[in-house]
Amino acid sequence: MEVVIVGNGPAGVAAAEAIRETGIECSVTVISKEAEPFYSPCPLAEYVEGSVTRSSLFMRDGDFYRRNRIDLLAGAAAVSLDPSRRRIGVSRNGRVEQITYDRLLLASGAVTAIPPVPGLAGGPGVFTLKTLGDADAILDSLGGVRRAAVIGSGFIGLEAAQALVRRGVQVTVVEAMGQVLPQMLDAEFASRVQERLELFGVEVLLGNPVQAVNRGPSGVESVVAGGREIDCQMVVCATGVRPDLSWMEGSGLVVDRGVVVNDLMETSVDGVYAAGDVIRAPDWSGHLDLLPNWPNAVASGRIAGLNIAGQRRSFAGLIPVNVVRIFDQPVSSFGARHGEQVLTAGEGERARRLFLEGGRIAGGQFLGDVSGSGVFLEMMRKQVDAGFLEGTALSGRRAVAAMLPKPPRVRSLAG
Amino acid sequence: MNESIFTFVERCVGCKSCEVACAVEHSRSKVLASAMGETPRPRARVRVQPAENYTFPSRCVHCEDPACVAACPTGAMTRDAATGAVRVNEDRCIGCWMCVTVCPFGAVTENPETGIAHKCDLCPERTARGEDPACVAACPTGALVYSTAERFADERRKITALSTIGVSEEAPGNVTLWRSLRGGNQR
Repeated sequence: MEVVIVGNGPAGVAAAEAIRETGIECSVTVISKEAEPFYSPCPLAEYVEGSVTRSSLFMRDGDFYRRNRIDLLAGAAAVSLDPSRRRIGVSRNGRVEQITYDRLLLASGAVTAIPPVPGLAGGPGVFTLKTLGDADAILDSLGGVRRAAVIGSGFIGLEAAQALVRRGVQVTVVEAMGQVLPQMLDAEFASRVQERLELFGVEVLLGNPVQAVNRGPSGVESVVAGGREIDCQMVVCATGVRPDLSWMEGSGLVVDRGVVVNDLMETSVDGVYAAGDVIRAPDWSGHLDLLPNWPNAVASGRIAGLNIAGQRRSFAGLIPVNVVRIFDQPVSSFGARHGEQVLTAGEGERARRLFLEGGRIAGGQFLGDVSGSGVFLEMMRKQVDAGFLEGTALSGRRAVAAMLPKPPRVRSLAG
Repeated sequence: MNESIFTFVERCVGCKSCEVACAVEHSRSKVLASAMGETPRPRARVRVQPAENYTFPSRCVHCEDPACVAACPTGAMTRDAATGAVRVNEDRCIGCWMCVTVCPFGAVTENPETGIAHKCDLCPERTARGEDPACVAACPTGALVYSTAERFADERRKITALSTIGVSEEAPGNVTLWRSLRGGNQR
């Protein structure tokens, strides 16, 4: 059997490892757009900042691909998919070759969703922060940059902003919505994050979609947002991510913003699986959703690998979690950002809030102290009654103790 | 079958001996008197939590398929296939808190002094010498045991059976009395 995996990120690698774990006899070919071996994109901002070394980004030793009999085609891009002949077109060094497969895994990830604004799609001085190549490019261009504009205040944007601040750059964050972290927090908690950003010298411009990037002979000169011109020598575009589905066009795959998969990570086409940031899959409650994050990529990749190897294993569902650090202060959230009942504990920079629907947790957000937040995520997934949390400090560990099955209370028959 | 730490909840009296022993074991000197003055301050990886009239020593349960390991984007959190222990490699951890965000037991916490993840490591030095983990050795009521899942389940069944036929109580009489003083438990 020939297995081809498109993508060398956490989903692709987790799938390859799962396949090898089963001991099934097959070839495994991994097609990677990037030249580098498997690395973690999560600490890229820390790498730009200088607190994480480049070598520590790599997640496996040098012998990993050989030991696991994985044929890595680095610097190769998938350009076409023909499921009727079970083959994909791969472009490498300017040549397109056709590779046949018995089982195909689409784990090609997501790309930055760049708004159609003149000058924002790239060019000297304009960057995204999604790949190691992006991070290296930012580091190479930092010399002479005094001011930078970060477009978007999601977690990648805010991480990029702090990395640049710590590199001595003055940063303006330009956000189209009325708050920072619009996909993570409600307006009240977001305003506290904004205060912290401002405390560390970041200028935050809300409700202003970027309109233009102005270039001069020496590169980027300014960004226009909300009618205001912001002087800057560097632009980092962090306007969210979307799966890159363009090369799958004409293949007959059912896509809906992402590649639609079932709980076995099977797509609508026989023999083709998908995992990671590219999928639209059942979430913890069974609804189809796009939830690109590291835990989902690893978990869905592993499930895809096991199913490709013939071990029927179903996926527990995507989890809607996010966590970011704002100048060393942790901020995390999961699920909904509103609910019919709102429980809040703490105040200011150290606060937590749960949203309840019908007495069950629908979402939560945590500022400054994220300890025990996983307990509430689990309570949401299990849909247990959360009424007992009302009026408490919302301690996760205490909630676990309260939910413990009590020891058998059998009274002695003799007594 | 790997050995791990298990809890007989009904025997726990919330004395926090496990917390002290854990902090001392994870100090530099491993002696209480000098550990108290150390910087960074030795920290317990087990926390006794109150729950109605029970107390529960909350710590990592070393899951077979740990959410924290799958969620760790730096490869710092790993599960040792031989011992089943889930541990943090402190050199690789960058304190992103993904593990904290997904742990269903609230068992991974932040060490505020080092800024990295903090959890039960099953006392590798002690268990390598054939000793029980520090919290188990320190527990005066036998609430914490170092055992395999099978042995623990056997023990659990035996206690329940014996207390049902009245041969012995499921917990020592004075513990049951103490618990009833905490607030009527005899449902």
